[in-house]
Amino acid sequence: MTDQRRELVRRNCLEVLEGQAERLAPLRKGHVFITGGTGFMGTWLAELLTCLNDQYAFGMRVALLSRQAQSLRESAPHLAARKDVALVEKDARELAELPESTSWLIHAAASPDNRTHSSDPLETIDSIVGGTRAVMEAAARLPELKRVLNVGSGLSCGAQPLDWPGLPEHFAGHLDFSSAGACYAEAKRLAETLCAAFRNEHRMEIVTARPFAFLGPYQLLSRPWAVNNFVRDGLLGGPIRIQGDGETVRSYMYPSDMAFWLLRILVDGKNGGVYNVGSPDGIKLKDLAVKIADSFSKRPKIEFGVLKGGAPNTSRLVPDVSSARTALGLGLRTGLDTAIEYTLAWHRNAAPGKIASTI
Amino acid sequence: MERTRKLKAAILGSGNIGTDLLIKILRSRWLECPLFIGRNLNSAGLAKASSLGVRISDRGIQALIDEPGCCDLVIDATSALDHLRHWPILQKLGKAVIDMTPAKVGSMCVPAVNLEECLSQGNINMVTCGGQASIPIAYALGRAHDGNLDYVEIVSSIASRSAGPATRLNIDEYVETTEAALRQFSGSPRSKAILVLNPAVPCVNMQTTVFAKTAKPDMRRAKAEVEAIVKRIQSYVPGYQLLVGPLYENNRIVVMIRVQGLGDYLPKYSGNLDIINCAAIAVAEALAAHRKAPPSQAQDGFRSPKRAPVPKEAKRS
Amino acid sequence: MTDKPRILISDPTLRDGSHAVAHKLSIKQICAYAAAADAAGIPVVEVGHGNGLGASSLQVGESAVSDEEMLTAARKNLKRSKLGIHVIPGFATINKDLSKAVDLGVDVFRIASHCTEADTTQRHISFVRERGKIAYGVLMMSHMAPNDVLLEECRKMESYGAEGVVLMDSAGFSVPSDVTERIGFLVDALSIPVGFHSHNNLGLAIANSIAAAQAGATILDGTARGFGAGAGNAQLEVLVAVLHRLGFETGIDLYKVLDAADLAEKEVLPALPAIKSISIVSGLAGVFSGFSKHVMRVSEEFKVDPRDVFFELGKRKVVAGQEDIIIEVADQLAASKRERS
Repeated sequence: MTDQRRELVRRNCLEVLEGQAERLAPLRKGHVFITGGTGFMGTWLAELLTCLNDQYAFGMRVALLSRQAQSLRESAPHLAARKDVALVEKDARELAELPESTSWLIHAAASPDNRTHSSDPLETIDSIVGGTRAVMEAAARLPELKRVLNVGSGLSCGAQPLDWPGLPEHFAGHLDFSSAGACYAEAKRLAETLCAAFRNEHRMEIVTARPFAFLGPYQLLSRPWAVNNFVRDGLLGGPIRIQGDGETVRSYMYPSDMAFWLLRILVDGKNGGVYNVGSPDGIKLKDLAVKIADSFSKRPKIEFGVLKGGAPNTSRLVPDVSSARTALGLGLRTGLDTAIEYTLAWHRNAAPGKIASTI
Repeated sequence: MERTRKLKAAILGSGNIGTDLLIKILRSRWLECPLFIGRNLNSAGLAKASSLGVRISDRGIQALIDEPGCCDLVIDATSALDHLRHWPILQKLGKAVIDMTPAKVGSMCVPAVNLEECLSQGNINMVTCGGQASIPIAYALGRAHDGNLDYVEIVSSIASRSAGPATRLNIDEYVETTEAALRQFSGSPRSKAILVLNPAVPCVNMQTTVFAKTAKPDMRRAKAEVEAIVKRIQSYVPGYQLLVGPLYENNRIVVMIRVQGLGDYLPKYSGNLDIINCAAIAVAEALAAHRKAPPSQAQDGFRSPKRAPVPKEAKRS
Repeated sequence: MTDKPRILISDPTLRDGSHAVAHKLSIKQICAYAAAADAAGIPVVEVGHGNGLGASSLQVGESAVSDEEMLTAARKNLKRSKLGIHVIPGFATINKDLSKAVDLGVDVFRIASHCTEADTTQRHISFVRERGKIAYGVLMMSHMAPNDVLLEECRKMESYGAEGVVLMDSAGFSVPSDVTERIGFLVDALSIPVGFHSHNNLGLAIANSIAAAQAGATILDGTARGFGAGAGNAQLEVLVAVLHRLGFETGIDLYKVLDAADLAEKEVLPALPAIKSISIVSGLAGVFSGFSKHVMRVSEEFKVDPRDVFFELGKRKVVAGQEDIIIEVADQLAASKRERS
C-alpha cells in the first residue's frame, strides 16, 4: 500500500465529508459492525468511518467481518493496524453472536464476482441467504442495536427497459428465476424479503441499499466487467477492446460517494426503506471507452471486437436515485471524469513491480 | 496382553469427504471417531453424524484446542486455506494429522507404495485422486524396470457429477501435484497428468490409464509387479480393478484401471473421491496397528525406485 | 445503406490439421503456411498440437516440435494476422503452458472444454483477459448437449471474460437444420458473438458453416483444403468463396487464400482429406474425429473392426481426450469375439 494511494483515498473521504459530517452525528461513539468488511464496499466504509474518527473525533469502533479478514493486512495495512478497527475472520453463515456493544450493523457480505455466480450458484445462494439469516438472527438479540443496513443489489429488479432512463426501486422487471444464472439477483432479492420478515417479527430497524456499479480504488480490475477491462487494457498499453457495438449503457459512481451514501442511508433512511445507490448518469460503453482512452497521456487505440450476429442485445442498467436525492438530500460529489482520473492514479501507484490488475 | 483400544481419530470438516470418512471409521476394527467437527450446526454431515450417535461440534479447530486429549489423530477434510491455519495448532498439540486437502504441507502418502515410511511423519497428505489411482501402477512399472522409466503419463476420466466447483477451479493444481508425485514415486524424470471430465449418464466410474516409456520394456516383470500391487491396493480399495494390461502398444506400456466407490456417503461413481478416503483410512488403520506391533515387525518397506546406473555400452546418445 | 455482415475467419490449418499428420508438422511447414495465410489477410491463424497447448502426450500423440518452437516460428511469420492457440484445461495449465504462450506473443486464446464443462475454463479465461489478450470460449462436441444447456455454458464463459464462444462440431455429426436451430437460439440469447467450427464426416462441413453464418454466427473456422482431423474441416478457400458470393465480408483476398491452399496442398498436406468409411462411421457415432488414427491402429492390433469400435465408443459417449478408452473397447470386442468362436 503506497503513501499516494492512502492519501488519495483519505482526500476523497475528506472531500465527501466536507460540510456534511454532522449529518452522520448519530454514529458518534458508536460500534459499527460490517459483514463483508474487507471487500470493496467494506474497505471504503472503513476508510470513511476512520476518517470521521480522525478528522471529526467521532470516537467510533469498527469491526470488519469476512472469511479472509486477515487479507486486509495486505490490501489496506493502515486500516488493519488501527486500534479502532477490529478484524473478525469468520463466514457470515457461522455467525452465532455479534459483539454486545454493536450499535450499527451493515450487512454487505456477498461476492459480486459473477464468475463465482456462474461456477458455483449453490454457494452463491447459500452464502447470501444463509449469511443474511444468521446475521439478522444474531442482530435481533443485540441490546444496543440502533439500525441495520442491508446491502442488496441493483440486479434484483430484473431487466431495465431500454427506454427507461433510470430504474426506480420498485420496478418489477423480468428476471428468469428458473435459470441458475439468476442465483445472485434472486438470492439478494430473497435476502431483502428475509430482512422484511425480521423487521416485522423482531421489530428491528432495517433499511436497504441497492448498489449498482462503481469505479474506483480498491476495485479489483480482474473482475471482467467492461469498465475494468477498459481500464486494465489501457494500463497495459491498449488496445482498449469494446465488445459488440458498445451501445450498452451503464453508469458508475465513485466509491467515496458510495460509502457516504451508505452511511447516510443507514442513519437517516426510512425504516424499511429501499434506496438505490449509484450514478444516474448513464453512458454508452463505446463513449466510456473513449473517455478512458482520453485519460491517458499516451492515448491507447480503441478497437471493436467481433460483432455478434442477429439483433444486438443491448442492455441498460442505470438507477433512478430520486429517492436518495429527495428524501436524504444526497448528491454525487465526484463525476465520472474525475472518477476515471482517480482510478488510473490509484492503479499507477501500485506497489513497485505489481501488475495493475490487483489491488 | 494386547491393548485393544481403538485409535481415536477426530475428523475436522463435516462436508461430504469428512462424512464419508466417518462412515468408514465406524466400520473399522481399528478406529473410532471421538469427535466429528464442523462449523455450522446446519450442515448435513453433522446431522448425519449425530444420527449415528457420534459426538459432534460446530466450533471448528477450537473444539480440539479445548479438548486436546479427546483424540490421537486428526483427519483434516476442510480446505487448503483452513488446513494451513490448522496445522501449526495441531502440531503444537502434538497431534498426528492426515491432510485430505490440497494444502500438502506434509509427506505425500500412497499406501500401497510408502505406507511404512509415512507412519512416522507428523503430517501426511493423500496427494490427489488420480495420484492414488495411478501412482502405485507407475511405481510398479518403475520397479519392473529397475527405475529406468523415461516418461510416465496418466489420464484420468471422471464423471462430471463427481467433480464439484472446487475440483473444477483447481484442475491446474491437480495436474501439477499429480505430475510431481508421479516423478517422485516412479523415479521417472518426466511425467504428465491429464484430467478429463465426462458427463455421460449413467455416471462413469473413475478410469485411469497409465502409460510409460522405457528403452527396454520387460512386460513379464511389469505384469508381475502390477498384479501384485493391484492386490495390495484392493485390500484397502475394494472397488479397484485392473481393466487392461499391462500391455505394450505403440511403443508404450499401457495399464488401465477402474475404481468404483464403496458408496458409503459419496455416490458409487465418485471412485475418484472414494479412493482418497480409502487410502486415508488405510493410513489411519496402519497408525493404529503400528502402536501395537513394534517396528521390527514392519512389512516390506517400499522405496522410490532409484534409477539404476546406465551400463556404459548401453548409453543412449 | 446496410453494411455487409462481417465474419471473422479463424484458420486452424496448422492446429486441427495436426491431427491428420499425427501432430508431426514441421517448423518449415508452419513458416510457409503462416506466411501465406498472413499474405491472404486471414485474421486469425491458429497453430499447435491438434488438442492444443500442452497436449503433446502419449494419450493423444506426441508433437514433432515443441509448442514453444511452433509458436515462435508462427509468430515470426505473422505480421497482420493474429496468432491464435487452442487450449484445453486438463491438458494445459496456466503455470506450465499458458503464461509462456502469452510471453511468446500469442494474440488470441481459444479456451476449450467439453460442451457441458465450461466452468473448467474459468481461471484460464480470466488469466488471459488479465494479461490484456483476446479470449474466446470454445465448447467441444457441441452436438452432445441440448441447446438450453449450451446456452448456460456459453453464459458461464461470458462471465469469465470470454469475448465470444465458438461451438465445435468436433465429430462432424450435425446437419444444417441442427446448426440453424442451435446457432440461431444462441445468437438470440447471448450478447457476445457466436462462432462455429465444422467437420466434414458427413460431407456437410461447408453447408453447416453457411447455415451457421446465416443464423447469425460471426466467427467461422476453416482449414486449407479442409486439412484436419478425420474427414477434415470446412475447406477454408471454399468457405471464403461461398461467403463472398452470399454477400458476407471476410477481409480475405480470394486469390491469395487460393494460393495459400495450393501451397498447403503442395507442402503441408500428405494427402487431400477424403471422407473415408471410418469417418462416416465416427460421424454417425458422434465420436471425436481426432480418434480415427488411434482407432485404426488399435483395431488392427486387436484384430477387431474399427467401425464396431467407433459405434461402441459412441454408445459410451466418450469425449475428446479419452483416446485411452479405445484400447479398452477394442480389448473387450476382441474378448467377445474369442468367446463367440
